[in-house]
Amino acid sequence: MFFYYLDLAWRSIKKTPFLSLLMVLAISIGIGITITTLNVYKMASINPAGERSSQLFAVRLLSQDNDTWDEITPQITYQDAFNLRKSAVPVRQTAMFRTGLAVQTEDINFAPILESVRVIDSDFFGLFDVPFIYGSPWEKQVDDEGGYKVVISEDINQKAFGGGDSVGKTLLLNRKPYQVVGVTAQWNPSPKYYDVNNGAFNNSEQIFVPFSLAPIEEFESWGNNNSWRHEDIRTYSDKLASEMHWNQYWVELDTPAKQQEYLQWLTAYVEQQQLIGRFKRPDAHGEISDVSQWLSENNVVPEDNKVLVGLSVLFLVVCLVNMLGLLLAKFLKRAPEVGVRRAIGASRLQIFSQHIVEVGLIGLCGGALGLLWAWAALYFLSSKFELEKSLAQLDQSMWVIAPVIAVSAAIIAGIYPAWRICSTNPSVYLKSQ
Amino acid sequence: MLQIKPIMSMLMRNKSGPLLLLVQIILSVAIVANASFIITERVGLMSRDSGITESEVFDLDIYNFDDGMEPISQTKRDIEIIRNLDGVKAATLSSMTPLSGGGWSSNFSYGTSKEDRVDATNAPLYYGDEQMISTLDLKLIEGRNFYPDEVATGGPELASLLIVSQAYATETFGDESAVGKVMYRGEIGNQPMKIVGVVERLQGAWVDNNNLERGIIINVELAAAFNRVLVRADEDAIAGLKEAIPAALHRENPNRVVRGFKTISEHRTGIYRNHELMATVLSMMVVLLLLITSLGLAGMVMFNIERRTKQIGTRRALGAKKRDIVSFFLVENYLICLTGGVLGALIAVQLGQQLMTLYSLPKLELIYPIVTVVGLLVLTTIAVIFPAQKAAKISPATATRSV
Amino acid sequence: MLSMKNISKVFKTDLVETHALRDFNLEVNEGEFVAVTGPSGSGKTTFLNIAGLLEGFTHGDYFLDGVNISNLSDNKSAAIRNEKIGFIFQGFNLISDLNLAENVEVPLRYRGFSAKERKVRVERALEQVGLAARMKHLPTQLSGGQQQRVAIARALAGEPRFLLADEPTGNLDSLMARQVMELLEDINKAGTTIIMVTHDADLARRAQRNIQIVDGQVCDFTMYQSGQTDQKAQSIADAASVA
Repeated sequence: MFFYYLDLAWRSIKKTPFLSLLMVLAISIGIGITITTLNVYKMASINPAGERSSQLFAVRLLSQDNDTWDEITPQITYQDAFNLRKSAVPVRQTAMFRTGLAVQTEDINFAPILESVRVIDSDFFGLFDVPFIYGSPWEKQVDDEGGYKVVISEDINQKAFGGGDSVGKTLLLNRKPYQVVGVTAQWNPSPKYYDVNNGAFNNSEQIFVPFSLAPIEEFESWGNNNSWRHEDIRTYSDKLASEMHWNQYWVELDTPAKQQEYLQWLTAYVEQQQLIGRFKRPDAHGEISDVSQWLSENNVVPEDNKVLVGLSVLFLVVCLVNMLGLLLAKFLKRAPEVGVRRAIGASRLQIFSQHIVEVGLIGLCGGALGLLWAWAALYFLSSKFELEKSLAQLDQSMWVIAPVIAVSAAIIAGIYPAWRICSTNPSVYLKSQ
Repeated sequence: MLQIKPIMSMLMRNKSGPLLLLVQIILSVAIVANASFIITERVGLMSRDSGITESEVFDLDIYNFDDGMEPISQTKRDIEIIRNLDGVKAATLSSMTPLSGGGWSSNFSYGTSKEDRVDATNAPLYYGDEQMISTLDLKLIEGRNFYPDEVATGGPELASLLIVSQAYATETFGDESAVGKVMYRGEIGNQPMKIVGVVERLQGAWVDNNNLERGIIINVELAAAFNRVLVRADEDAIAGLKEAIPAALHRENPNRVVRGFKTISEHRTGIYRNHELMATVLSMMVVLLLLITSLGLAGMVMFNIERRTKQIGTRRALGAKKRDIVSFFLVENYLICLTGGVLGALIAVQLGQQLMTLYSLPKLELIYPIVTVVGLLVLTTIAVIFPAQKAAKISPATATRSV
Repeated sequence: MLSMKNISKVFKTDLVETHALRDFNLEVNEGEFVAVTGPSGSGKTTFLNIAGLLEGFTHGDYFLDGVNISNLSDNKSAAIRNEKIGFIFQGFNLISDLNLAENVEVPLRYRGFSAKERKVRVERALEQVGLAARMKHLPTQLSGGQQQRVAIARALAGEPRFLLADEPTGNLDSLMARQVMELLEDINKAGTTIIMVTHDADLARRAQRNIQIVDGQVCDFTMYQSGQTDQKAQSIADAASVA
């Protein structure tokens, strides 16, 4: 019976091409706009940590004086980062910040390039699941004692050494020789959740150096440096000793018990800092946020985008109301034929199904066309506005979501007209010809 | 002859069709009013004047990684090299690029003692020299520029003179002249800085921050390993300078990376990209929505005409003029549109209220729903008039034929 | 076969109550050919609609082929229409988008026959009305008489126990009308019960039995094929045809 209905639906669509086209267009535009905004929304709200999301925590401290900043900030001071590293509770932990260094190789013909660099502890790679092609992170010892070790990405490896296993080779950063200990595969989580300072959809750094080198090499911060009071900072060691917030801190806590333990440890740390008079406010405390909390606290999904998703859903509703009107007109025009079918023995349910199949088919066409619109819109928007690639890509799930929304939306719009047509008394239309 | 009464009773008898149209118009008005409000708001933001000749100014970064480099003398040499290149009108070391989204800002304070200290609003800071004004092409409206010998080279602690934007001056001192006033960092007495001039406009780096218009210039060249330079040149000379500047700097000292070369216009495009994106997507929505609504309306009217062919024929046979038939459909449309428009405007205001509380958007102004309704009336007139004219051509003879 | 006892049908609008049928009683036996006549507005169409399960009724009992029709679900009455009843209309009511074969196939589709079974039955039905050669034509390509024959084929395809015809010749000229009437008579001879509503007294006379509906009630006069004519029935039938 389904194929019979499908055949009838197709005939009906062909019979009123203009009206059908209008309906398909209406629904496809609604779907196109909804899918476009939904896609950007979805891509922006992806939790890139996946199943580890609930085990990774950003650490923050409410340490500023009263009457300065009202809220806890996403970064901490170098002093605190340095102290937090002493906790034995986390499975893994890393302090970090972003810097930039001039890259050279021992080949004098290699033109120096300026690259952004992440300053980290060796746990960074395990914590964020960074895949290695060659080598491994530097030893733990380096985190304590310092050492000129570097991990580079496949991309930098290609640029600097022409690819291959470069472990053991020397890379010059600001003219200092660093020994390459590992080469990572392409790794670019989107959103860049571990540090949202320079934009949540920025590319990841391609070069990683030990945090323990910061006081020695005086790496400049290429992120936000926020001070809640005026401090006369003239040298790098002034900065390290200051109350400026410019480091990020992440820990891995795999069980709720560990999380509790770590929070207790943090409380003890804050109390100790209050005791020595550094944290002056009485409500000073530490907080940990897992990845999904972290993303929402940092407003990674732009509010504009939420507004757009809301408006586009309303837009879809308009398209559906539009379609509902057209369907009603179209179906009622067909009442005499339906009367004949009813007289001949079609039950209400059969007539209803026939018409629902027809709207479903229109919905499906609209969905397919809508997907095309969405693809085109994303292409246009990304080329015109240099949207981050990760946001402008049509997510695979949309291939399912678009037709499902389209067909169900069409069916919702079709229920009333189909019900109207199947519930009219057939005898009215039989005589009047 | 408007025939409102018979049309009304007809609409009431045949509820579902007009009701659907009504719902569609209500929603369209609600969406279009809010969308166009957001669009105008964004366009308004984007069209704010930065006070800078944006297409002539570009920035570049010099990163010295030579260990033995002496930042102060190196910086002075570099600026000299750039200024002496052909096509360069002016150049200055600068702590930030206007409209770039990154840089320096701070709160200064003023007053005579600890007790009457007033903290001024947050302001974006340009550390630079006496060529900052000519580089950005700012208009000095009060006081004077720095003299070359007043400019220090080194850290921010050397600051002693300020040139402030008019917006900052007015916000801080009201009607009083800002020139001659002294500002401090933190505590009163801590590093005094005297205001020597006021420029008409100077925007900062963050377009979504309310400190945008409060630009301040400080008389210090922040010389370090990493330097940013702003250069003003004729538009057609910029392409050549992109090659000439790195070449000249590398001749002097090869141990550095020189990069950047983005004009302020390019920075503007980048920093307003999200607003432009929002405005573009919303404009697309508005156009498509109006298109769909009017096409839907035209479809409905056509269907109605088909259904009422005989009725229209009868009316014609009974003496209705073509004009009467057209006006019949138009009046019907206006009745629905106006009802929908009024209800839609109410919902639009509600929706605007929601958006305002949820997403910190400004409050919807009433003119938007009103203009939307008027626009919709015009648009639907076009959508109705064509099928209605077709209807008017129905021959009175139709009435006498049975099928 | 068909038994209606005290059937009433009331239409209510805001202002008036109209009694379309009042205490309507009728028995039709298997194999009969019954002609129903009556003036306009007498309730003929209402009767036909109720008999054909297209409309419900307000009071009374209606048994069709032993099945009690009162309070039947829509599904069941659709199934009965489909299996036991064939309809023929004045306006033919062919579906204009479907070709002849597809039109005849419609009831078979709803009955859930296999494609093979449908094909056999469609061919047989169209052969019966002499239009098998035109299977792929669209209704608009046929004359009125041919269209009505297709409609008859459609009614016959499901091999119904009885046929309801509403002015089957109303839109046809006399020659075509006669052909259609002959076809109906053949069908009746093959065992199908027929109830035909008509204005045409001549046609009515050809049926085994005439029923007159006046003001929603039956005046039943039995006229057998032998040709005996009841004067009174004749005069009323004439009056009706004039009206």
